[in-house]
Amino acid sequence: MGSDIFEISVNAVKIVALFLLMVQIVPLLVWVERRGSAFIQNRFGPNRVGPLGLTQLLADAVKFIFKEEFIPEKGRAFIFYAAPVVALLPATLAFVSLPLSAPVNVETFEMFGQSWGPYTFQFQGFDFGLGIVYVLGVSSLATYSMLMAGWSSSNKFSLFGGLRASAQMISYELALGLSIVGILILYGTFDFKTMIAAQQGALSFHFFGEMVTIPFLPNWGIFYQPLGAVLFLVAVFAESNRLPFDLPEAESELVAGYHTEYGGMKFNMFFIGEYGHMLVASALMAIFYFGGYNIPFVTPEQLSGFLEGFGYVGTTNSLMTSFLLHLCMFLKILFFLWVFIWVRWTLPRFRYDQLMDLGWKTMLPWALANTIITAIVVFVMRM
Amino acid sequence: MTSTVLFYLLSVVSIVFALGVLFNPNPIFSALYLVLTMIGMSLMFFNLEAYFIGGVQLIVYAGAVTVLFVMVLMLFDLKKEKQAFTKGLFSSLLKYFSAGALLFMISGASLMSMGLMTEGAEKAEPITTKQLAALLFTDYFFAFEVLGIILLVVAIGAVTISRIRGGTHAK
Repeated sequence: MGSDIFEISVNAVKIVALFLLMVQIVPLLVWVERRGSAFIQNRFGPNRVGPLGLTQLLADAVKFIFKEEFIPEKGRAFIFYAAPVVALLPATLAFVSLPLSAPVNVETFEMFGQSWGPYTFQFQGFDFGLGIVYVLGVSSLATYSMLMAGWSSSNKFSLFGGLRASAQMISYELALGLSIVGILILYGTFDFKTMIAAQQGALSFHFFGEMVTIPFLPNWGIFYQPLGAVLFLVAVFAESNRLPFDLPEAESELVAGYHTEYGGMKFNMFFIGEYGHMLVASALMAIFYFGGYNIPFVTPEQLSGFLEGFGYVGTTNSLMTSFLLHLCMFLKILFFLWVFIWVRWTLPRFRYDQLMDLGWKTMLPWALANTIITAIVVFVMRM
Repeated sequence: MTSTVLFYLLSVVSIVFALGVLFNPNPIFSALYLVLTMIGMSLMFFNLEAYFIGGVQLIVYAGAVTVLFVMVLMLFDLKKEKQAFTKGLFSSLLKYFSAGALLFMISGASLMSMGLMTEGAEKAEPITTKQLAALLFTDYFFAFEVLGIILLVVAIGAVTISRIRGGTHAK
């Protein structure tokens, strides 16, 4: 956690702040989803409570908290209560390990009559040096919450929802894992920060021993891995159970799927978990294929030098650079969150056999081909 | 210090969950205990600074294999099968034999691993993922390929069995 009390407390506050960032963005996203869906379907959406209907969220939160507690008569109470908690955990653990901006360098300063040494604070909760392996490992546990919720409700629609969810997530986890192998080969690392550092500046690559630079395109992963990016986007849609892959909660067939018997705050925790998965998926999409926290064509060093021109030096300079880069990262994340909402209200749901065919017979072979071709190309180009 | 405390804590928790797998009469609760045991194992790897193996343990065992167990157990009503396995001379002989063999293997393994850790020994450098991959594709290449072939055979066998008319219940 750190060497002295200042570093430990900053790191602890940082983890709490990142968790709150994830949880507090959910009501806003719900508002965007409802207003956005209304906009897409030529309706108004919630517009009565407060300015632009924004305080509707507060009313919803109060309603969620004061709803009646309910457990199905033949349900298993412990698992029934545990499932929403398990739904929230994987997304949280994954999101906190993502780097959302460049590290902040704090120089030596005086406080409480004591000198506090130079620190470097990462803009992420913790870092094992594992990067994507850790994120994949943690988010693969999300299936259990749906299985537990479906089974403990002792309701056949809930059980169907849970079983569908697990089958779908296992199937698409393969395609998800394989679709990013290409980008891992390209950057030669699991670590997010190294990947982001490799995407600075304008598009430039080795082409049979010569450096080719295309000055009008940023050096983003999507230009090297377009197929991988498409496969990854589709797979994360399936992993976060959003339309067109929301068969676990297909309301026309299964009432509401695995959370049929849930109400109030317990239901809301499933909701937060789903939005948390969207957030993690959007951040991963930005990190892998859209340059992470890099501002296009501008390296963090250039930005820091630019700020120095305005007289900001030392700690202030580092803080402002980090903040601006974080803003850029968050704009990218918000764009992909909007894509999630946009697709949900545009595409119809798959049939179950179509879903399985797409996962196993289309995406898996394409992802394998992408991996092999990337490996060959990287090997030949770097000779 | 912290890692020693964590080691004992995680060991006790993992053993308790593993005993839960054995002694819980409900197969689904057993499977959920197995998940917790797997997560405990992966945390042990994290505690030993073998981060990559810990992460892979999470993805493969906790995230994929045990999900299938839980899912299949939820699909079936396992009353008849439980009865069939509890009664009968052959199955009880098999049970006692396999329990004895496992006990023998565990005691052998723990006897052989005694005295490996000496006091004040230097801590080994944590192996990076690149070193691991290099080892896997040079020194352990044969074992790696053989494992791949075994998995392929298992997959083909599973497809063949499922394509027999009537599936696994064919007479």
